[in-house]
Amino acid sequence: MNWYLQNGKDSDVIISSRIRLSRNIEGIPFVSKCKPEELKTVYKKMKEIVPLIGYGLKFISLKDLDDINREVLVEKNLISAEFAKSKNPYSAIIINDEENICITINEEDHIKLQIFSSGLEVENLMNLAIELDQKLEELVPYSFNKKYGYLTACPTNVGTGLKVSVFAHLPALTITGNIRKFLSAVNNLGMSIKGVYGDNSKAEGDIYQISNNQTIGITEKEITKNLKLISQKVLEQEKMARKYLGKKGIDLEDKLYRDFGVLSNARKISEQEARELISNVKLGTDLGIISELNDTKISELMLYTKPASLSLRVGKKLSVYEQEIERANVIKQILSE
Amino acid sequence: MLCQNCEKNEANIRYTQIINGVKKEIALCSECARKLGIDDLRMPINFNSFLGDFFNDYAETEFLPMLQTNELKCKTCGMTYNDFINTGVFGCSDCYEVFSNPIDSLLKNLHGTSKHIGRIPKGKAEKIDVKNVENKKEPQSKKEMLEKDLEKAIKEERYEDAAKIRDELKEMK
Repeated sequence: MNWYLQNGKDSDVIISSRIRLSRNIEGIPFVSKCKPEELKTVYKKMKEIVPLIGYGLKFISLKDLDDINREVLVEKNLISAEFAKSKNPYSAIIINDEENICITINEEDHIKLQIFSSGLEVENLMNLAIELDQKLEELVPYSFNKKYGYLTACPTNVGTGLKVSVFAHLPALTITGNIRKFLSAVNNLGMSIKGVYGDNSKAEGDIYQISNNQTIGITEKEITKNLKLISQKVLEQEKMARKYLGKKGIDLEDKLYRDFGVLSNARKISEQEARELISNVKLGTDLGIISELNDTKISELMLYTKPASLSLRVGKKLSVYEQEIERANVIKQILSE
Repeated sequence: MLCQNCEKNEANIRYTQIINGVKKEIALCSECARKLGIDDLRMPINFNSFLGDFFNDYAETEFLPMLQTNELKCKTCGMTYNDFINTGVFGCSDCYEVFSNPIDSLLKNLHGTSKHIGRIPKGKAEKIDVKNVENKKEPQSKKEMLEKDLEKAIKEERYEDAAKIRDELKEMK
């Protein structure tokens, strides 16, 4: 089973963890200043070394993927939406079947090495990332400067080139009206926290991404440790809010079960509405109030209600209207499995 | 209040940025806001276009990047300092040397320091020669590539991979 459908440590609150290392190849300009033949050199070099890295990694050129398959990668948070739209013929990814390793080629930097896991696993992921990075550095010469560390196109990544992030599900902090205060507290600790879906005014589905800002003048170990500590604090606060909510008894049960009722009985449903309802249904499941579901089903609901993943599951490209109908069908399918 | 950037038009947008708890505020007219890429506030804010903001400390008299007159230029990739401020990304590794001065102050603003203390690559990978790669006989046939892969796999004692490649070669014959 792929990591994004799995259950991980503390994944009732910390849905997933990711490590990202940004690297560039010595002697070749950064991607934005690359000539086509330079992009091609990076592309070919990376393609050539894939069998040497191991881990069951495969090289896939982005131009060989259609729009839906590219979009699915975005929905699984494996690549950015900008990268999915890339017209650069030398954009590629290196990925394994489990999809817990995904290296992007010729995005903003030549190489972005990413490792994923469900739950709070930043330290284990960091060890794996370093292992992979050490393999790569034997095969490609990294652009490195004694003072500035690993050089990256954007100075917000320079030094370690490391961004550690987690996705956190914070419905109780939201319902209890504490989320704003909480966001600014996390920001003040030198971390960035933002809603993953929806616009700035409201984080749809109550899912937030927390990541480190500082990448230079700090060791990889410290970054990872800081993020773990913050995540544990987040976990603690959200659990406290959930405990408080739990005291509301029947009122909360009623609210969550009504949402479950709508989710399971709708005949057509938008992506946004599904996301909001799934958030509360997940909360109900994690609190032991809703007993009809389990973690895997929740993860499936989260993934297959997204437009491209839905289309891929159904097996054809869908208009927005058709999506709403099929989404309701797929939800019923998952619930009855 | 007049726009703090052009000092001509009436300001109608107030932009606030908080990073690491440091609050910076500026009043802009819609035209300047558009030029700076901060007019469409419904869009997730592109952090890159704000990097110039951090140069406040470096060029104390000016707050906004568009007034920077610094014309340092990287000989390797042709990037100027203003290019960087507009795009938020550097062009190549050498930019870090050429713009070392402003970078130091930028990094101090961004990260609180400008000295790397993390891991150091130990790899001894050979430098890639772009021209050489290009001149290499191409296209290499799939068979040749597989044969090379096979050689490598055996050399590195990755026998499982080698067996797979061998099977693939057999099929081609």
